[in-house]
Amino acid sequence: MSESKFETVSSCVDNYLPQDSSFDDVIEDREMSDTWGRYQLMGDIMRNEVPQNIDLDLSAKISAAIDAEPTVLAPKPSNKPQNTMKARIVKFVKPFGQVAIAASAAGLMVLGVQHNNMVQTDDVVPVPSIQTNPLIGVAEPVSFNYKQPNQVSQKQAYMEQQRRLQALLADHQQQIKLTATQNKKSPVEKTEAANSQTNKVENLPK
Amino acid sequence: MKILTCVLLLSTVFSATAAEGEKATTWLNSLSQFLKQRNFSTSFIVIRNNRADPYHWFHGVTESGEELEILSLLNGPRRDVLRKNNIVSYIEPELPPYSVDTHQISGPIPPIFSGDILALTKNYDFISVGKSRVLGRPAQIIRIVSKDKHRFGHRLWLDEASGMLVKMAVYTRQGVLLEQIQFTHLELSKTVPEPLLQLQSSELPPVVETPKDLEETDLNWKVNWLPDGFKRIKTNRHRISLTKQPVEFMLFSDGLVELSVYINKGNVKHRDVDFVRTGATGIFNQVVNGLEVSVVGKIPPDTAKAISDSITLLPKK
Repeated sequence: MSESKFETVSSCVDNYLPQDSSFDDVIEDREMSDTWGRYQLMGDIMRNEVPQNIDLDLSAKISAAIDAEPTVLAPKPSNKPQNTMKARIVKFVKPFGQVAIAASAAGLMVLGVQHNNMVQTDDVVPVPSIQTNPLIGVAEPVSFNYKQPNQVSQKQAYMEQQRRLQALLADHQQQIKLTATQNKKSPVEKTEAANSQTNKVENLPK
Repeated sequence: MKILTCVLLLSTVFSATAAEGEKATTWLNSLSQFLKQRNFSTSFIVIRNNRADPYHWFHGVTESGEELEILSLLNGPRRDVLRKNNIVSYIEPELPPYSVDTHQISGPIPPIFSGDILALTKNYDFISVGKSRVLGRPAQIIRIVSKDKHRFGHRLWLDEASGMLVKMAVYTRQGVLLEQIQFTHLELSKTVPEPLLQLQSSELPPVVETPKDLEETDLNWKVNWLPDGFKRIKTNRHRISLTKQPVEFMLFSDGLVELSVYINKGNVKHRDVDFVRTGATGIFNQVVNGLEVSVVGKIPPDTAKAISDSITLLPKK
């Protein structure tokens, strides 16, 4: 997602518009327009066109000024919708409480187990899922790496957790397989068992 | 007069439930007989979370009375379970093939179904809840309901004609479906299915040595609470194969479900509770005072937590 977004910004800077609407997207998206500003600033610096005083926050000031202006036609959109959102969230969260937490944990595992299982058991699917992770880290331009450390450590912690739990699950299943021996102390077909195993008896755990 | 009607009503209710229970028991008996004695080739899909795993399952009994069985996972790398009477072999990508000295296949279907299923009556009630159509056949629905609130419930659909399992589901006590097995094909035959004859003539891998089974007193910790009916069936120290982490381990079973308890030194001082679930199997994990405790099994999160909380360390000998 995010790479393609910043690709758009980058191509806009280079005067190449993938779609007519893409420049509008850049302007409307806060994050993208910030990046746009930084890209332009970099360009300015490289071309040695930097003015004496750089006002980095110019755009922010302008938008603040616009917000402050009393306009009847375009009332501030921020207040009302935010409030309803909050109310909704509170309503939703309160009754569920722990259940919601448990459910989210379970949800994580769904992904994790599948992911890990796929790595182990499925030859076709895992290739994209393995490659996507490194690609994010490697291919992203340096300019918005400021976001990365947090995300990476979170992802690592998540992967660590998944690996640990996956290992427990696998071991649990393994132990059940090995334990079936002790379940059966009264073999029904004893004679046949003896016949079919004669060559292996010495290997048996006592 | 009123009292009499009450008594009459009550007695009919009781006799009805008793009859339902009896009916369910009869059906479960016929399932267990079927799984032990018949030649069949069948396919089923295990549905957990949003994942579906298809299996093929063959079972046959030769003229000499030898039981043969093959259970194969059909997607991904080969995972086969082969059984010749009292030797069960596992062929899996992670490990070289190995055999175990048992006559129970450990797979998605609880082995107790082909064993002494009535032994479950201590902790579970059997209830016949009616009929339905599954796999194109009329089927009987039997519920296996836990007597306490610490376990999940099972629901089985049995083919009316043969008694064979055609569908199975695991529910929470609130009725949330966690895992199900849907059969997609069932073929009964007079003779032993062909793949089993090949199995009969082939050699199985060697039987493995299992880690030495310890006495409970060999470990300096103790599980003080378990739901009724769970018995300790194994205690050992081993390394978890994927992480190489050394653990102390106990395995418990109530006949229908198994649960594992792991204790090891954590690499952190404290970590909050993780509880995740794949299908009905929950994995509970936490680190308290540098001690990592994990409980794995088809049990509700509350049960896992209660078990974990009941563990106490014994003074070192």
